[in-house]
Amino acid sequence: MSSQRRIADLSGIVRAHAPVSDRAPLGAEVVDRLLGGGLVRGALHEVRCEHVREIAAASGFLIGLIERLHASSGRVVWVADPATSLDAGTLFPQGLAQIGFDPARLVHVLPHDLATALWAADEAVKCRGLAAVVLQIRGNPARLDLTATRRLMLRAQENGGFACMLRQSAEAQASAAATRWHVRAESSAPPGTLSTPSAPRWRVTLEKNREGRTGEWSLAWNSECKVFEHAPETRSETCSAENSGPRLHAPAERPGGAAQMGQVVAFEAAS
Amino acid sequence: MARRKWGKSWRLKPRPEAPPIAVVDTVKNTVRIVACDSHATSFGIKIDQTLSDARALVPDLECSQNRPEELKALLASICEWCGRYTPLVAWSGTDGLFLDISGCTHLFGGEAALVADLEHRLKAQGFSARAAIADTPGAAWAMARYGRLAIVAPGRQREALRDLPLAALRLDETLVIEMAQLGFKAVGCLIDVPRAPLARRFGRDLLRQFDRAMGDEDEVLSPLMPVAELTSEKRFSEPIVHEDDILGTIDRLATSMQPLLQRRGLGVRRCEIKLFRVDGQVCRLAVNASAPVRAPKRISALFRERLAALHDDLDAGFGFDVLRLDILHAEAFDEAQASFDAPRNHEDEQRALIDRLGARLGTDRVRQFGFADTHIPERSFDLLPVLSASNRAGGSLPGTVTKSAWMSEGTTYGLTRPLLLLRQPEPVEAIAPVPDGPPIRFRWRKALYETRRSEGPERIACEWWRDGRGAYSRDYFQVEDMAGHRFWLFRHGLYQRETDAPRWYMHGLFP
Repeated sequence: MSSQRRIADLSGIVRAHAPVSDRAPLGAEVVDRLLGGGLVRGALHEVRCEHVREIAAASGFLIGLIERLHASSGRVVWVADPATSLDAGTLFPQGLAQIGFDPARLVHVLPHDLATALWAADEAVKCRGLAAVVLQIRGNPARLDLTATRRLMLRAQENGGFACMLRQSAEAQASAAATRWHVRAESSAPPGTLSTPSAPRWRVTLEKNREGRTGEWSLAWNSECKVFEHAPETRSETCSAENSGPRLHAPAERPGGAAQMGQVVAFEAAS
Repeated sequence: MARRKWGKSWRLKPRPEAPPIAVVDTVKNTVRIVACDSHATSFGIKIDQTLSDARALVPDLECSQNRPEELKALLASICEWCGRYTPLVAWSGTDGLFLDISGCTHLFGGEAALVADLEHRLKAQGFSARAAIADTPGAAWAMARYGRLAIVAPGRQREALRDLPLAALRLDETLVIEMAQLGFKAVGCLIDVPRAPLARRFGRDLLRQFDRAMGDEDEVLSPLMPVAELTSEKRFSEPIVHEDDILGTIDRLATSMQPLLQRRGLGVRRCEIKLFRVDGQVCRLAVNASAPVRAPKRISALFRERLAALHDDLDAGFGFDVLRLDILHAEAFDEAQASFDAPRNHEDEQRALIDRLGARLGTDRVRQFGFADTHIPERSFDLLPVLSASNRAGGSLPGTVTKSAWMSEGTTYGLTRPLLLLRQPEPVEAIAPVPDGPPIRFRWRKALYETRRSEGPERIACEWWRDGRGAYSRDYFQVEDMAGHRFWLFRHGLYQRETDAPRWYMHGLFP
C-alpha cells in the first residue's frame, strides 16, 4: 500500500471520529440565529400539538429535527404510549420515506402502560449511539412530571443523545426540556395560488428556550435537501433573496417527459 | 378434584372417615364408573360397573364427573414436572408418560432411587402413580400397568413379560378378546408360536407390538417439549425463594456453560429457565437475544428484566428446588475482537438495549417495519417483532442497512402518502359536488372541515384474490382544509359502477 493511500485511509478514520458539533442547524437562518447556531444535540426537547388532527404536523416536524441532527444514520427508538395510537394511528412507512426518513431505522417500542413507557425511554436514552429517542404521549399525565423529565434530560446530557417528547393533544406544561415547540398545521400555499396541496408547512412556535428568546415562524420542510425553510405567508418578499431551493414541487408520481432513447445499435440482418 | 378439596398432600394424611372416591361418566348410555381409588376397590367397586350398582354396594360413594380435558391438562403439567428427571418426556396414551432416562439415572443415585424419588414426590403431590423401568417403552408400559416389578433388568423383557396378560402389549381391545377365546391369554403364549401364521391370522399389529416390547423393533418416542441444545441445572437441598438467589444461580449456570459454548463456537440466541417449585409447579421464562451472546452477565441481565416484568406474578410458594437453564437456540458466535472502532461498541450496546426491552416488555412489543408486496395501504406494511423467530439473521436489525427497500423507490416530489395511518379507516360524512370529485365539506370525529385544496383521485383497486369479487375500489384524495390540515380520504366504491351510495372514509394524516 502506498504511503499516500495509507494517509488518506487514516485521515478518513480521523474524520469519522472527529467530534460532531453539539448543535445542529435547522437550515432556516432566522431560527438558527435565535437558537445560537442550532438545536442542542445532547438534551431533551419537547414537541407538542394541541389537537389530534395536528399530530401528523408535529410528528413531521420532529422527524425533520431528527433528520437535521443526525444526517440519515443511526437508529431511532420510538416509544409510544398505548393511548396515542388509538386516535393518532401509526407511522406509515411509505409516508416516512417520502419526507426523507428511512423507515428501516425505526425501532418501535409499544409498552403496556405509561410507567413502562417511561422505563423504556429511560433505558433507551442511556444507550449510546442512537440517533434519537422519541417518547410519544397523549395529554399531560401526572406521572410525567418535572422529576421524570429531568431524569431524561440528565441522561441525554450525559450521553450526548437526542431525546424528544412528542405530546399529542397536550397543553403547555413545565418540564425540564431544553426547548418546547408547539406545532400547528398551516396551509401549504397562500390562498388562491395553488389548487393542490404541496410541501408540508407548519406554524411553529418556540414556546420555551432555556438559552434565549422564543419566537414563532412558518417553516416548510424540504424533503429533498432535508432542511427546514423559512416560508412566511407573504412569500414574494423573501423568496428570491433568502431561498433559492426548489419551492414548488413537481407533482408526485406523475409520468414525466418521454424517457430518453437508449443507445441505438445496428444489428446485422437476421437472415 | 380431591387435591382441590383436601389439599395437595391429601394422600399422605389419614382420612379415616372419608368415603371412597370414584369418577363416573356416561358409557353406552349408562352412568358407569371410569376410575376409582383403592379404598373403593376394597368395597368391591370395579371399573365399568354402573353407578347404581356401585351405590348399592357403598351408599356414600363420592362421585365426580369425568372431565377428560382437565385430566389432560393435569397430565401435561405432570409431564412438565417430569422434566426434572429427563428432558425427553413423551405421552403414552391419555393416562401415562414415557420418560427416556438413558444417561440420567446416575444423577439420582441409580434406577431404583430414581423410581423411588419419582413415586414419593408424586405421592406428596397427591397422585398415586406406578412407575417401571425397562429397556423398551413397551415393556415398561406393561410392567407399570400389569406387572409387579419396578425395574426390569437389561435384556430380561422376555422373562419379565411372560406371565402378563396379552393386554399388556398395548393391543386393540377386540383383538385381546378374540385371542383370549383362542387360548392366547398371556404374553408368553406368543413366544414359542410360529410368527407367520400369527401375522396372517391377527394382522401385523400384534407382532409389531410384541417386537417393540421385546426390543426387536425400535420405537421412537417424540418428546413433548423441544430438547435444548445445552442444559445446565442446579439442585438445592433447601428451596430458594428470593429473586436475587435465582439470578445468582442463573449467573452461575451461565458461567458454567460459557466454556462449552466457547468450545463449540456458539452464542445464545434464545434460552429459557425452568423453575421447579417444590409442590410440582413448573415455571418457565424465556428470553431472546438479537445477536448471539455468551457473556453470563448479559444472559443474567436479560433474566433480571424478565423477572422484573413479572413483579409479583412469580409465585415462589414454598420455594424452587431445581433451577434449569436451557439453551434453546444457539448460533455461531462472531469472534470479532473489540476494536478501536467506537461505533461497533455502540452497535453492541444497542443490541443489548433491544434485548433488554424485549425481555422486560415481551418480544412482541419491540417492533420494526416489514413490508409486503401490495398496494392496499394498510396491508403494505407490517410491524414485526425485532426478536422474532423469522428474524434470525443478526444483520437485519433496523438501521444496519444503510438504504432500505423503502427508500429505493426514487425521489418523489411532494407527498402522496400520509405520515400517519389510522388503525382502521374511520367513516366520515362528506359532501362532494360531483360524484367522482373530492369532497367540499366533511365531518370527521364530530368536527366540520371545509376543503381548500385537494388532489386526486388516486384509485387503488381491491385485491380480488383476497377480498372476493364484490369488494369495492377506493379513490383516494389528498385534501387540505381551510386551516391547513392535510388529510387522506377515500371514497369506497366507484359511483354507479360499483355502488350508488359510496361511503367516505378517513384513512391518514399528512404532515
